[in-house]
Amino acid sequence: MSFLSDLRFEAAVTARSVLDYFQGGAVRLGVTGLSRAGKTVLVTALIQNLLAGTRLPVLGASAEGRIARARLDPQPDDAVPRFPYEEHLAALSGAERHWPESTTRISELRLTLEFEHTSRWGGKPAELAIDIVDYPGEWLLDLPLLEKSFADWSRETLAASRDKARAPLAADWHAALTEFNPSDVADEETARELSLAFTGYLRRAKDDVYALSTLPPGRFLMPGELEGSPALTFAPLDLADEAEILPDSLAAMMARRYESYKTHIVRPFFRDHFCRLDRQIVLVDALSALNSGPAALADLERALGEILDAFRVGRASMWSSLFRPRVDRILFAATKADCLHHLSHDRLEALLKLLTQRAIGRAEGLGAEVDVVALAAVRATREAEVRSGGEVMKAIVGVPEAGETLGGDRFDGAVEAAVFPGELPADPSVLFEGDGVALPEALNDLRFLRFRPPISARGRPAPHIRLDRALQFLIGDRLA
Amino acid sequence: MSERRPRPRAFRLDDGKVAVDDAPGSFAPKTIVTTEQPRFEAPPEPELDEGEREIESAQAAGVARRFSFSIGGLILSALGGLASLAFGLWTTKLIDDLFARASALGWIGVALLVALALGLVALVARETLALLRQSRIAELHAALARARAADDRDDARRLVTRLAALYEKRPETARGRAEVREAIESIVDGRDLIDIAERALLRSLDAKAQAEIARAVKAVSLVTTLSPRAIVDVVFVLAQAARLCRRIAEIYGGRPGLLGFLRLVRSIGAHIAITGGMAVGDSLLQQVVGHGIASRISSRMGEGVLNGLLTARVGVSALGVCRPAPFAVVPQPGVSDVAPFLFSGGKDA
Repeated sequence: MSFLSDLRFEAAVTARSVLDYFQGGAVRLGVTGLSRAGKTVLVTALIQNLLAGTRLPVLGASAEGRIARARLDPQPDDAVPRFPYEEHLAALSGAERHWPESTTRISELRLTLEFEHTSRWGGKPAELAIDIVDYPGEWLLDLPLLEKSFADWSRETLAASRDKARAPLAADWHAALTEFNPSDVADEETARELSLAFTGYLRRAKDDVYALSTLPPGRFLMPGELEGSPALTFAPLDLADEAEILPDSLAAMMARRYESYKTHIVRPFFRDHFCRLDRQIVLVDALSALNSGPAALADLERALGEILDAFRVGRASMWSSLFRPRVDRILFAATKADCLHHLSHDRLEALLKLLTQRAIGRAEGLGAEVDVVALAAVRATREAEVRSGGEVMKAIVGVPEAGETLGGDRFDGAVEAAVFPGELPADPSVLFEGDGVALPEALNDLRFLRFRPPISARGRPAPHIRLDRALQFLIGDRLA
Repeated sequence: MSERRPRPRAFRLDDGKVAVDDAPGSFAPKTIVTTEQPRFEAPPEPELDEGEREIESAQAAGVARRFSFSIGGLILSALGGLASLAFGLWTTKLIDDLFARASALGWIGVALLVALALGLVALVARETLALLRQSRIAELHAALARARAADDRDDARRLVTRLAALYEKRPETARGRAEVREAIESIVDGRDLIDIAERALLRSLDAKAQAEIARAVKAVSLVTTLSPRAIVDVVFVLAQAARLCRRIAEIYGGRPGLLGFLRLVRSIGAHIAITGGMAVGDSLLQQVVGHGIASRISSRMGEGVLNGLLTARVGVSALGVCRPAPFAVVPQPGVSDVAPFLFSGGKDA
């Protein structure tokens, strides 16, 4: 049974890649990141800049004036929702400007660039179709599940929930777990109760003050149309090592549902979307984790490790090594770089490098180029120098969002402020010292505020930071 | 967190106690304080690619040469000193004689001597300036290559400002300079900034220099093919090569002057020697093949193509040595890039 389904799965993956090959040409650019990392804003800004034809100095083709025009085309996948670019653009502008709603599902958009190749024999007009696929990063965390059994997954999830940062959040769920025995007779009511307690724990961990990264299964927090279905109504159980799963027991029911979650949710995503990506940008909101504390940072590192693991999924078998995910460039981007002065950007990049370095080290033979960058797709601040009583601080000026607080000041979303967010240390490993989470302001040397989107001239894209550099890394070679 | 770092703080701009000076954020290099704390990981010595290393050692042999003591130098200086003394003696004697003949003649002689002295001073000044400019360009080249490899933002800003200043007096680079200025003031990494400057400032100059090489190659091939006597094309080829080197030096950074020209020739020679029989980016084979096909058509034409190839080779080396920035976004041109017509069976030559 399992072998047969594996075979069918591989065949489907292969068929897709053969089909893509013959349809030719387009670059599938995956945009992902854990929620609130800024995926939607990035995609919107990217499209807006290319459509408006702004000069992007670091993107070679644009700097050399070889991009003639950009246009939006109908996307090739009819079954995937379109990325609502126009709506998000409207959200970012006007008096009521606000950051767009977050990504809760996959969406796609095709952008076609008309450009000319550089060639010593004179340029040749060409077109490059870029399919931008935007999907929640939590879904990537699901991919390693494909190779884990229910028992393994239960053990790992429980172990993670017992560490110091998470234990208080998971207390309710742990209490619920003790009430039931995995070998009890299966019962829908019990399953639902456990699942609710588990989801509650995941949701709390994601809360702003804690800013912990999500653990799989990713769909629990963004269920979509499958909400309440058995495939989403399960939870890890406290199984003893070597314990046998009895038929008709609670554990057997949970294990079956875990398997259907994989079959009906994880695999289709892997086959229909993830496997077909050519380039990937992973957005990382390191600043929220820094606001929260060292434990949140360690948690983010673990999540990034899992994400990189996703790029290795299925490499083990011979079939998969023939038709493996074909992503050949992965860019890790620390977003919201406009929340700190540019002199600190190198340090932010160093931190991101450290966050991903261990993960990249583990993902041996990834076969892809990996780079890190600190960027801001929409730059909401400008830089300033604050001189206060002989002290000189490198600060940023912007309109903090309503409700943000710093040093007893509560902002109303209308007044401008110069903010000195603290100084990142030269050695990023210092930031991992300790195990604090949701640190109060007095104990944290860093505090990054959120700013409102900037007012930009009608029809002109807002300024950005290093968006062009990201583009050069991701698609520059295809525009050569 | 053991060390105490400055605390995060916010200052409301509508507060009466806060004064805002809304001058545009200036990243002018002189206000950048180099407070770079030691990096947590010592950056490794930046790796330069082979073409760049060849160009730099060629520059060290000529245009960026430091004055050093040598026996030949000593003999030459001594000889020069003696010759100047002899010239001095001779002029004093001449003026004396002129005054003895008639005082009007004497004054004319003095006036001419003063004019000569002024001219000499101007000449020396111009040569010195040209030499300084030449070595500054070579230094800039090496520094840019290092800053680019190390991705050093502060260095890149400083060097790119100097690069733009080099072309301050050229109206056709106005747009490029504006782009570079804008990039210097925005948030761009060191390597990207140098790439932007190369694209904005040097691409048009590269095109000009390459056109110049192509022109010289065509002239040389044509004259060699048609000239009745070997001595004519030898002289012509030498004259064209010299002209080409001066033109390329002029395109990238002003007239080289006489001494500057000699140093440039030395650098070009060194570059050709270092890169060996192989032209940059081309294989010897290709040159022989190009020559072979043409020579089968006619032996004179074969010689024309060969002389053209040599000229192109000199031009390509001159281009590398004179360029104030390393080749990064623009690939280093090879002989077949500057004179593609030599390789199309000789039909255009």
